[in-house]
Amino acid sequence: MLKFTRRAAIGGVMSVAVFAATQGCLTAQAHADGVHDVLNGLIASYSEHAKEGMSNKSVGELFEKDGFRDYLDAYPVGGLADGFVWKPGMGATFTGPYSKLEIKAPFTDYIPLPEGPVLDPKKTYKIGFVFHGFNHPWLISLADTAAWEAARHPNVEIEVIDAEFDDNKMGQVIDTWVAKKYDGIVLWPSREAPMGPPVDRAIDAGIPVVSVDRRTSSEKISSEVLGNFYANGLQEGLYLKEVLKAGNMVLNRKDLGSTADSIRTGAFLEVIGNVDGFNIQGNYHTNSQRTLAFQSTADALQAFNDISVSFNTGGEEAMGALDAIREAKRLNSAPDGKKIVILANDDAKEVLKEIADGNIDMVSPYTPLIGDIGIRAVIKHIGAKEGLNDAPPKLIMTPNLPMITKTKMVIEGVETMTPDEWPYAYGPAVN
Amino acid sequence: MTIVEEKSSINAAGGWAQMRFLPEIGDLSRIVVLGVLVVAGQILYPGFLSPENLRVVLTAVAGIGILAFGMTMVVITGEIDLSVAGVAVLSIVIGGLLLPTGSPALIIGATLLCGLCLGLVNGIFVAKLGVSSLISTLAMLGIASALANIFSAGQATYPEKIAEYMWFGRGALLGVPVPIFLLAVMALACVFMTRSSTFGRKLYATGGNARAALLSGIRIDRVKIVVFAFCGLCAAITGLIESARLGYINPAAFPGLELKVLAVTVLGGAALAGGTGSVFGTLVATLIIGVVNNLLNQMGVSFYMQQVVTALVILVVVVPGMRNRRFVK
Repeated sequence: MLKFTRRAAIGGVMSVAVFAATQGCLTAQAHADGVHDVLNGLIASYSEHAKEGMSNKSVGELFEKDGFRDYLDAYPVGGLADGFVWKPGMGATFTGPYSKLEIKAPFTDYIPLPEGPVLDPKKTYKIGFVFHGFNHPWLISLADTAAWEAARHPNVEIEVIDAEFDDNKMGQVIDTWVAKKYDGIVLWPSREAPMGPPVDRAIDAGIPVVSVDRRTSSEKISSEVLGNFYANGLQEGLYLKEVLKAGNMVLNRKDLGSTADSIRTGAFLEVIGNVDGFNIQGNYHTNSQRTLAFQSTADALQAFNDISVSFNTGGEEAMGALDAIREAKRLNSAPDGKKIVILANDDAKEVLKEIADGNIDMVSPYTPLIGDIGIRAVIKHIGAKEGLNDAPPKLIMTPNLPMITKTKMVIEGVETMTPDEWPYAYGPAVN
Repeated sequence: MTIVEEKSSINAAGGWAQMRFLPEIGDLSRIVVLGVLVVAGQILYPGFLSPENLRVVLTAVAGIGILAFGMTMVVITGEIDLSVAGVAVLSIVIGGLLLPTGSPALIIGATLLCGLCLGLVNGIFVAKLGVSSLISTLAMLGIASALANIFSAGQATYPEKIAEYMWFGRGALLGVPVPIFLLAVMALACVFMTRSSTFGRKLYATGGNARAALLSGIRIDRVKIVVFAFCGLCAAITGLIESARLGYINPAAFPGLELKVLAVTVLGGAALAGGTGSVFGTLVATLIIGVVNNLLNQMGVSFYMQQVVTALVILVVVVPGMRNRRFVK
């Protein structure tokens, strides 16, 4: 029911923005005032067109075969909490407690909570934050922002646990916190289904639970802080359509069935589904492994000598593809000696460097710097339980972020950012 | 139950005059499989045998091949090394931590030394303390992987400015990419070591019947320490090659590498019971895996189906060989 309401709202509320954007009436300044809504409008528009059919045979066949429609229709797209409007430049700068890297987190003003004691100043609130991956730059950055937010409030104690990609361990950690009567729990689940029951047990015990980025199968969960996968794939399609009208492409995708793959790739295909000149030559699942992306691209370059586009669902894939293309000395091997267009997601610093150097053409940011939203949301849920404030919405959308390109562009009303303008990149700097 | 196997390799005589680099009978089936795959590849993709595609195939498997040589020697002694992924990743992370020094000798030397030392520790645990290699190397895998994350704070480093480091992945020697060159050099060295040296005879004797080897005066503890140390060194070389190819030292690199290497080793004819196996067989197995992966990628076969096909190829090659072994109670 909720899903239907969301999508209906998009179709209605955003239609004016879509019309304006597609008619070229939306200026760059207007976009800067609300990139989230502009992108949601484009999502609605392209989704509707794709539902009417795809004229591109190879795109349409892949879209059907992998069942993208089912995933896309189930993924929430909607407005931001409390009418928040995100603008480039927003957010706080700090040193990540774990990574020790300087971070500028984009959404620290979203669902805001002033620095200092929260809720009842005489009480100490214990919050558990469980995730996977102290060995992954994206996930360390996620934990950095969660720990930073907790540290801003002297009466909040946070325990951060790495479940090491073990769903059972994550479940046990949550059960332990339930037994210890923690005040709130925030989690980054790897997979949806296994985390439903532990979350339900915590909710049944009266403990608010908030998931960030990924979802759980729990319907009782207090809030879900959702990423912007749809806008990622959409912008890869928008960029490609802008710079190229035809060409053969190779896809490096994440795990089959993962949200990141199904939504990003699905949204990308929706955008190019009615451009007849594109042809999918290779379609690989390289599962976020740079080595696999490298190898599949290296092999594809041998099989096909006229690749024009390398589509990648993540930054790891894009870097692997770029390295393979460079090793084969094929960067400029597209028809007519043109450069292979490399599309990426995830705004790691190394990806931005390759954009600045002109090797990767665009990246749709997918920031890990959202752990702070989860912490603020769970504190507000604890406050709502104690009658101190209103509860935040169940679905907390994170603002859609504009794509990053080497030079400034305006594509269907979306004003791109350049690497120099983007302070939110995560991970270690490349020397 | 006593397992009696034909060990033609044990008959290898030592000394330069009697070097034997020719394949054994057991390796011929693998060569046939490789030949069939290559012919099939050329029929399906006329450019399959082009120098460029051969470069892609060989560079792709160079790292895993070198590591499989080390693993083959460990397996011949009747042991197993499950720590190779951890050793490889910790070695490159140690090198990565030294990048700010800008000293290629220090960075590369520390990387290789780390692998060698970790392998040495594995060997001491197995040979001197009598700890099962399954347990001790599994522990080393966990410890080394965790230390890699602790030392690096989970963050990648980039060696691209150290040209000597990058040479291991992207350089060329006489027109041959360095990973392929290293694969060839290591293959020759390992073939010599296992088939034409006294050490090779001790290696097979240790794995074939440790007690008999001991009674024959072979210091099996030393043999095992040497092969574990060598395997650790191979892991570091593999880490060096792969991180240089990607220009990226990743503390989360090489997930599941130990199983891939074991698969190549078994495909090459090594028996986990010890005493059997050949570096040449492992080299052919490495090439089989490389050709299969390359072909499947060119055919657009999904990653998941590739895993199925690769496993089937291993079964097809390994099972008939096992049937030839005689089991006597």
